[in-house]
Amino acid sequence: MKYLSIVALCFCMLAVSAGAEKKFGKKITLKEKTKISDIIANPEKFNGKKVLVEGPITDVCKMRGCWIRLGSDKEFQTLTFKVEDGVIVFPMEIKGKTAVAEGVVSVTTTSVEDQIEQGKKRAKETGEEFDPASVKGPKTVIQIKGEGAIVR
Amino acid sequence: MNWRRWNNIIHRDLGYFLVGMTIVYSVSGIAVNHVADWNPSYERQREVLNIEPPAGDTKEEILADVLPKLRLNQDELRNSFRPNRETLQLFMDEMSYAIDLPTGAVIVETIHPRPVLYELNQLHLNHPKGIWTYISDFFALSLIVIAVTGIFVLKGKNGLVGRGAWFIGAGILVPVAYWIYYLNS
Repeated sequence: MKYLSIVALCFCMLAVSAGAEKKFGKKITLKEKTKISDIIANPEKFNGKKVLVEGPITDVCKMRGCWIRLGSDKEFQTLTFKVEDGVIVFPMEIKGKTAVAEGVVSVTTTSVEDQIEQGKKRAKETGEEFDPASVKGPKTVIQIKGEGAIVR
Repeated sequence: MNWRRWNNIIHRDLGYFLVGMTIVYSVSGIAVNHVADWNPSYERQREVLNIEPPAGDTKEEILADVLPKLRLNQDELRNSFRPNRETLQLFMDEMSYAIDLPTGAVIVETIHPRPVLYELNQLHLNHPKGIWTYISDFFALSLIVIAVTGIFVLKGKNGLVGRGAWFIGAGILVPVAYWIYYLNS
C-alpha cells in the first residue's frame, strides 16, 4: 500500500509539471534573438557564434528526432537546428509549432560524395526519390548546433 | 532473522515492485534498439492528392485559393510556410500538407503516436525529465540490488559455489566476448 502511494504521488507530480510549452535540452541563456535571414545572408559573420533564433518548425527528423528545420522570417529560407543523437529528441508532433532555439552557428562545405550519401539516407527516411545527378557541386551548409529549445 | 532471509525478502519484494518498470524499459528497449529500421514512437502515413494548381503570388493569396480546394478552414491551420517558390506547407495537429504549386500535387503526411509504445518510449528515453530522472535512477540502482541479492538467494550446489557460479560467469562472458569480437571485427 505504501509503495502504491509513492507511485501515485510521483505520477501526480509529473502530471502537474506537464504544460503546453515544451523545453528541450539546456536552458536558454541569450535574451536577444537573431533573425534567421541575417544568418543566411551573412553566415561567416555568425560562424562559431551562439545565437537565439525563432521560427516555425517546418520539418522534424523522422527517425531519431535529431534535428528540426526552422522557417526563416523571410520566405524561401530554412535553417537546420541539429542536436546530438539522443541528447535531445524532438517529437514529430511539434511540426508546425514555433520554436525558440539556441545554439552555435556552423558553416561547413559538403562535398559531392557526402551530399549523395546524405541524399540517399534522407530518401530512405522519407520515402522520397533522390537523384544523385541533382548534386552539381560542393555545397555550403549553414546549420545551428543545437543546445536548447522551447517549443510552443 | 539471518542475513540471507533479509536478502531474499529484499530480492523478492523489490522484484515484485519493479515488474511494471521492467516491462516499460524492456519493451521500449527492443523498440528503440531497431530505430534504424523504423520509428518506434510514431506511425507515419503518406498520401498523394492532386488538385488544380493553386493561383496567387503571395502566401495569403495562395492560401485563400488552396484551402477550399483541400476543404480546410483557416482555423484548423497551426501554421503555414513556403520553404521555396514551388512549395507551400500547411501544418495541422498530427497532419501536414506539402503542396507543389506548379503541378498541384499534394503530399499529405499523417503522424500518429503508436499506442502504448509511444508512452513507453517517452518514459524510457526520459522525455518527461524532472522527477522521472530520479525514478529511473532508482530503477537502475534497484536492478543492481536485485542482481546482487539474486546471487545469494540459494546456498549449496545450486548457489554461488556451484551452478550459480557457472551461470554468473557465462552471463558476464557474453558482453565481454562480444566486445572483444566487436573490437577485432
